[in-house]
Amino acid sequence: MPTLATVRLGENDSRYAPGVDPGTVPSPLDLLDLPLTRTALAELTLLAICGGLLGAFVVLRGLAFFAHAVGTATFPAVVVADATGFSATLAGLSAAAAYACGVERAGRSVRDPGDSATGLLLVAALGGGILLASDVFESGAAVDRLLFGTAIGLNGADLALSGAAAALALAATILFGRTWAAVGFDSDAAGALGLPVRRADVLLLGSVALAAVAALPAVGALLVSSLFVVPAAVARLFARDVPALLLGSVAIAACLAVLGLYLSLWLDVPPGPAVAVLGAAAYGMCALLTGLRASTRTPAAGTSW
Amino acid sequence: MTRAPAVEAHGLALGYGGEPALEGVDFEAAPGAALCVLGPNGGGKTTLFRALLGELQPLAGRVRVAGRPAYLAQTERTRLDFPVSALDVALMGSLADGRWWRPPGRSQRHAALAALGRVGLEGQASVRFGELSGGQRQRVLLARALTQDAAVLLLDEPFAGVDPASAERITAVFTELRAEGRTLLVSTHDVESARLFDLVLCLNRRQVAFGTPAQRLGREVLETTYGSDIVVLEGSGDTAVRAITVQHHEH
Repeated sequence: MPTLATVRLGENDSRYAPGVDPGTVPSPLDLLDLPLTRTALAELTLLAICGGLLGAFVVLRGLAFFAHAVGTATFPAVVVADATGFSATLAGLSAAAAYACGVERAGRSVRDPGDSATGLLLVAALGGGILLASDVFESGAAVDRLLFGTAIGLNGADLALSGAAAALALAATILFGRTWAAVGFDSDAAGALGLPVRRADVLLLGSVALAAVAALPAVGALLVSSLFVVPAAVARLFARDVPALLLGSVAIAACLAVLGLYLSLWLDVPPGPAVAVLGAAAYGMCALLTGLRASTRTPAAGTSW
Repeated sequence: MTRAPAVEAHGLALGYGGEPALEGVDFEAAPGAALCVLGPNGGGKTTLFRALLGELQPLAGRVRVAGRPAYLAQTERTRLDFPVSALDVALMGSLADGRWWRPPGRSQRHAALAALGRVGLEGQASVRFGELSGGQRQRVLLARALTQDAAVLLLDEPFAGVDPASAERITAVFTELRAEGRTLLVSTHDVESARLFDLVLCLNRRQVAFGTPAQRLGREVLETTYGSDIVVLEGSGDTAVRAITVQHHEH
């Protein structure tokens, strides 16, 4: 059985997930062997539940760019918190909430929260965060951990926040799932049905913002969408109804999380990039498969009358 | 004894801030009546519907509807790539009962299936909405309105882009709904289809006319309603005028 040990990737590098000796393939059971990896596994599983459920509605409502941006928007705030010893969770929550409120307050449709404005924010948040980390606080070494996450150093507080985010996502899906689906399908008619469209929108934006902050320690500010967009986007290729999309999205998120953590352990890379690369590969393969399947079928009978 | 109107508006003015988009609206529709709301694009048909749905507060006057009306929006507002079946869409109508947080029960499923049956799509209940034809999609949206079980139905251009078989089915359902005492308000820009209704309400940023089609759909009213958008084909007096409208789309 391989020995778990922290592998040094570079001169100063001992901050990634505990890995195994280079060239040695770890056993999947290694994930359960150490308290550190058990915590990481539990954290990523909770985030998979959260990301899978909310991600389904993020994809259905066309909020993928928002989900990506809300994570990145927290980056300057967590850099400042990391350097000053302030709570990164509170700093991230404040930044995410401010951004979500900005999107909501802008009075735009949540289907189109302003792509240009979001793009500008992404650039400003990344650039500002890097400047703060390298020139103001001189904490450059922490930048990759803040951007891409880490499997070590996760603690009970991180688990508690992810647990709360997963519980909120589950409760909100049970209570608001039908409403979110009806609004996503036809927002005009949803309002006419007497549905609380605005409250549902606020809850979805707020839940995604909270979940993104909960995901920061494990997957980092830049790769939040690896759990909040990619699994649902893969499930969307196959799902024929919303419950199937929800189940598929959670299952795919869980698989990506476990495989990503295993890969991170094996290659001694942060879990965020491992999950993201696996997700992108899964999406690419599934899109290819569904594309091939569609091209071998005759066109749907109902496309014209 | 006369029954209370199912829909009524008196001295109604509506707008989105600034100048009213629609004013001088005064009409009543009894239970079981079919009222055609006729006018050009931008004439105020959708604005009136938004007020009847309670989404737009009047600038002046008042409006009253019996219960929460069902609304059939135009099909292009729906998402064709959405993972929902015809039954899922019909079931959305049951959300109007105010208990939107509850999963659909057996009675709601029965009601949605029955609604699909009424529009002739019971066999397509599990087909994805986006895979249906344009006419079938319109019928599914009508089934959603039927599931809502409303006393008043607002239907926005229900025959636009619909094949003849679907249009026939939709017309048959309208007849049944009226026989059940439900009131229909149907918006259209098609003058000829307006003649089939009991009542017609002509709008062009104000109420031009209200009454029976035979009384009101004369040359003068049509020209005031449509301006340069109308082409009168035949007839010289105020009766027996045939006309078509020319729609100037902005996009």
